[in-house]
Order: sequence, then structure tokens, then C-alpha cells
Amino acid sequence: MSSTLFIALPLLFGFATPLLSRLGKNALAYTSVLMQLSLLGLALSLLLAHSSTTVELISIAAPLGISFVLSTASLLMVLLFTLLMTLFSLYYLFQRRANAYANESKFFTLLNMLLAASIGLVLSSDIFNIYVFFEIAGISAYILSAYSKTALALESGLKYLLTGAVASIFLLFAIVLIYLHVGSLNLAVIAEQFQLLPYNVKLLISLLLLIGFGFKVEVFPLNFWVTDVYQGSTSLVNALFSGIVVKAYLFVFFHILYLFLPQGEFTLFLLYLGGVSMLVAEVAGLRQTNLKRLFAYSSLGQVALIFVAFAMQNIQAVQAAFFIVIAHSLAKFMLFLALASLEKTEQNMHIDRLKQIDSPFLMVMMFLAMLSLLGIPLFVGFVGKFLLLKSLAVEGMLTLLVMVVVASFIEAIYYFKLMGYMLHKGTRSEKVEVSLGEKMIFVSLGLSLLLLGVFPMSIAGFLQNAAEVLLDQTAYITLLVGG
Amino acid sequence: MFEFLNQPEVIKTIVTLGAMSLFFVGLFGLLTRKHIVKVFISIAIMESAIFLLFIGLSFNREKVAPIIDATQTQVATMNDPIPQAMILTAIVIGMAVLALGVSFAIEYYKLTGKTEIDTMNEMRF
Repeated sequence: MSSTLFIALPLLFGFATPLLSRLGKNALAYTSVLMQLSLLGLALSLLLAHSSTTVELISIAAPLGISFVLSTASLLMVLLFTLLMTLFSLYYLFQRRANAYANESKFFTLLNMLLAASIGLVLSSDIFNIYVFFEIAGISAYILSAYSKTALALESGLKYLLTGAVASIFLLFAIVLIYLHVGSLNLAVIAEQFQLLPYNVKLLISLLLLIGFGFKVEVFPLNFWVTDVYQGSTSLVNALFSGIVVKAYLFVFFHILYLFLPQGEFTLFLLYLGGVSMLVAEVAGLRQTNLKRLFAYSSLGQVALIFVAFAMQNIQAVQAAFFIVIAHSLAKFMLFLALASLEKTEQNMHIDRLKQIDSPFLMVMMFLAMLSLLGIPLFVGFVGKFLLLKSLAVEGMLTLLVMVVVASFIEAIYYFKLMGYMLHKGTRSEKVEVSLGEKMIFVSLGLSLLLLGVFPMSIAGFLQNAAEVLLDQTAYITLLVGG
Repeated sequence: MFEFLNQPEVIKTIVTLGAMSLFFVGLFGLLTRKHIVKVFISIAIMESAIFLLFIGLSFNREKVAPIIDATQTQVATMNDPIPQAMILTAIVIGMAVLALGVSFAIEYYKLTGKTEIDTMNEMRF
């Protein structure tokens, strides 16, 4: 019963918004936060119960019915998503009086739809269900991106929608071919029979899946839209895009890849694709002067780093990938929320404005997030990068190792430039007020970056377990369809 | 004279060739057209091609509709209902996305008067 709640509750909330909004001006905002807090509590209680993988049937048993699989790996993602969404809602609640969104009830519907779809992507064990959640997450994200209906926002919404629609066509094509050849939509059944298919069919399906998901996991030739979308959307929404949405797509792509896509040459291709994406994103990030765009390029670089780590397909590297996922989600969330706090006066900040702003608190917080993104020791970002480099060295992949190091250096160049701007001595004219509630959220995010960085062992075991579960193809098949 | 067209192999070949040529017509439109509505139409054509391909290849003329009643109880002689259920869902989703896209395009046109995708460059960098 429990894992279905993660999807059912936010969806139910989405449909109940017209009723809830009649209860009073603030009813919707408070019930939304309350619901997300209870989901977070549920996820934490599942974590503490520490049970093994559970399968939750929706109607009938595995090959025919639809089921959600809650393993250590998917629990980790669910925990991360609910935590970030709760913090997001709290942040929105604290700054809501000053600048609330227009038509707030729609905004809350979209937020909870996005949460339900991201969790659905992670939990689902049926490839057509994955397609449906893929679309729900997409549609909510398009609307959130175009929400303010300025020319800029609409343009980013249109670009997001066009690429998303093309991506979903290729994904649907892949699913159709899979069903025609295997005769099932269940991931476990497909995993069992996929290796028996002719080579050409396997290659075609893999390529279609790569194109379909490639748009969403922001891998090099298919990521041209990302920076425009980030620039047109509000910083608040960007925090969700880089903290939750991309991570859900990345997880489900590699979940499918480990289960049934061909190994060997294809994996090597993915590794170098990730490496090239990383370098291209970081080099393009160097000459950006718009803060949102700059952070978007840095997001692309970090997502490509996670892509490389997942594509390594061994336990140490996947564990490193989970560390980077956590580090990047927390740090980018902080940066984009800080940007949202700074942007109360003006949208689309030029980097020069960092010299003008007088808010030591926000500066310190952005500093912490940047240090973690760069992988400075004592921050959780360091743990992830270190583990990844170690496993690249163990595997003898020196070219990729050099690529990762070079990309990190390039990233360091523009982050140090930003830090220089923030430390710039001179008169600071723009005073930015940050309320106590907002401060608490920044402090808790910053503390978690530091604490996880100083005591990585506290979660290392859990993450290693998650990596083992994610990579174990046979256990997944036995669990769903029996031996 | 055209009885040979009723053979399953011939039907499947025609469906595959037709759907794939439709798919590439859509892809060509997507890559070459600049007007935003034409781009959306190209996407709709590509989607329809996949719907046709799936329904065409999974439908068998010899089998009956998958409805169990007093006269029909043999599951083996029925068509597989899953492809049709899947495609119905996909049509609804595709329709919703297109409607949303067109509404964005209309709002954008009202604000800026632009319809060509290569002139959509509010972003300066």
C-alpha cells in the first residue's frame, strides 16, 4: 500500500485543488506542504524500517498487471524528491506574501503533478507506464516553464514542448517495437527476452530509446534547448528542473539500460558521449554573462558527469553517481533558490550585479553551494567526484579521467570568477532582505552539504546497497516474474 | 484480381511501408518547415505514423474483437486488445500536448507577432 501513496496522494491533491481552494486563501498552500511533509515522513519511515525490495501490485500479478517496485535505489530517489519538493514548498510559503504566483491553485496542481510523475518514473516497472509518467512530468514542466506568460517564458515553454514532443515520439516508437517483438510491456519480461532478439532489432530499439531519453537526460547533441528553457523560466522553477526532473529521467534511463540494453560497445559509446557532453557544456559555460544561463551550463556539465558515472556500470561508479546526484541536487537547489531571492527586484541577472548586491547571508550560502559543486574537500561534491575518479582509474579509463579533470578545471574557472565578483570590494547599493524562514531552508541545505561531506560514511553503505540493487538484473527479474 | 492483397504478409508490408513513409514525411517537415503551426502538424504526422504502424501490425483479419460473451469464449481467436488500449492513451496524450503547444504559440503570437521558429530569439547571449 505504501509505495502507491507516493503517486496517488499528489495526483489526488492535483485533482482536489478546485475544492481545496474554496476553503480559504491559504488552505491550498498549507495542505500542499502538509501532504508533502507526510510523504517525506512516509519515505523516512520506510528508510528506517530497512526492508528489502517490495513489489506493489496495482491489480493482477506481474506479467499482466502493473506494479511499482520500491527497492533501496528507488527509495533513495523518492526520498530525495520528496525532501526537495517539501523544502521548495516551504520556501515558496515563506516568500509567498511578497511575490506569489498568479493563479496559485494551478501552480500547486502543477507542482504536485510533477512530484507524482517524477516518483512514478522511478517506481514503475512497466514501460508504457513509464511513457505516461514521462509525458505527465513533461506537460507539467512545459506549463511551469511558460507560467508567467511573458514573451521570454512562452518562448522557453514552446522550445521545451517541441523537444519534449519529439522525444516522446521516439520513445513511443521504441515501446511499439518492443511490444511487437517481445509481446509484453513488463520490464522484467522484456529483460528476459531482449537478448534473444536479432541484432538489428536490438540496435534500432536502443537507438530509439537513446534519442527519446537523450533529449530529457540532456546529453550532448540533444541538449541545445536546455539553456534557453532555464533562461526563460523563473529561478524558482529551475530549481525543480535541475533538482528533480532531470534526476528522475536519468535514473529511469539507466534503470532500463541495466535491465536490457546491449552492453559492451554501446556502453563505451555512452561513456564517451557523456564525456564529450561534459566538455562542451563547460567550455560553452565560460563565456556566459547571464547568471541563469551560466548555472544551466553548469547543470549540463554536472548531469553529464552523473551520466558518465552511471554508464560505467559497476558498483563503485554507480555509488559515486548517487553521491553526485545528491550533491548536485542540493547545491543547485540552493543556487537557484538564492537566485530567486535575489531576483525579487529584477529578472535575468547579469553576473556584474553580484558586485552590487548587499546580502552577506546569501553570498555565504551561494559560496558553499559553489564549493560543493566544484568538488572541494569537506563537501559532499568532493566525495562523489573522488569516488568517480577512483573507479575510472581502477578501470584504466585514462582518457575519460582526463576529460573529467579538464571539465572540472574549466568549471572552476567560471565559478572562481563568480566568487571573485561576490567578494568584490566596493560600495554595495542593493540591499536584499531574506526572511528568517528562507534563511532556515538555506542553512539546512548548506548544513546537509557539509555534514554529508564530512561524514560520507553515514550514507555510503546505503548508497552502495542502492547501487547493487540497481545493477542486479537477475534479482529484479526473479522478483517480478519468478525464477 | 486483387485477392493477393488479403494475405497477411502483403498487408503487413503495405502497413510498414506506408507508416514508415508517413513517419519520414513528418520528420522532413519537422526539419525543414519554419512556421510553428507547420512544425506542430509535422509532429502530429509522425505520431500518427507510429499509431498506424502499431495497430496495423498487431491487428489480425482472421481474429475477432476481444469481447467475451455467450458466443465468444475462445481467447486464442481474439485480437490482442493491449495495442489498441495503448494507442488510445497515446492519442489522448499527443492531442493534449499539441493543444498546449498551439495555445503557447497563440499567446506568443499575440505578444510578439512572430510565427517563424528561427525568429524566436528573445534570449540574448
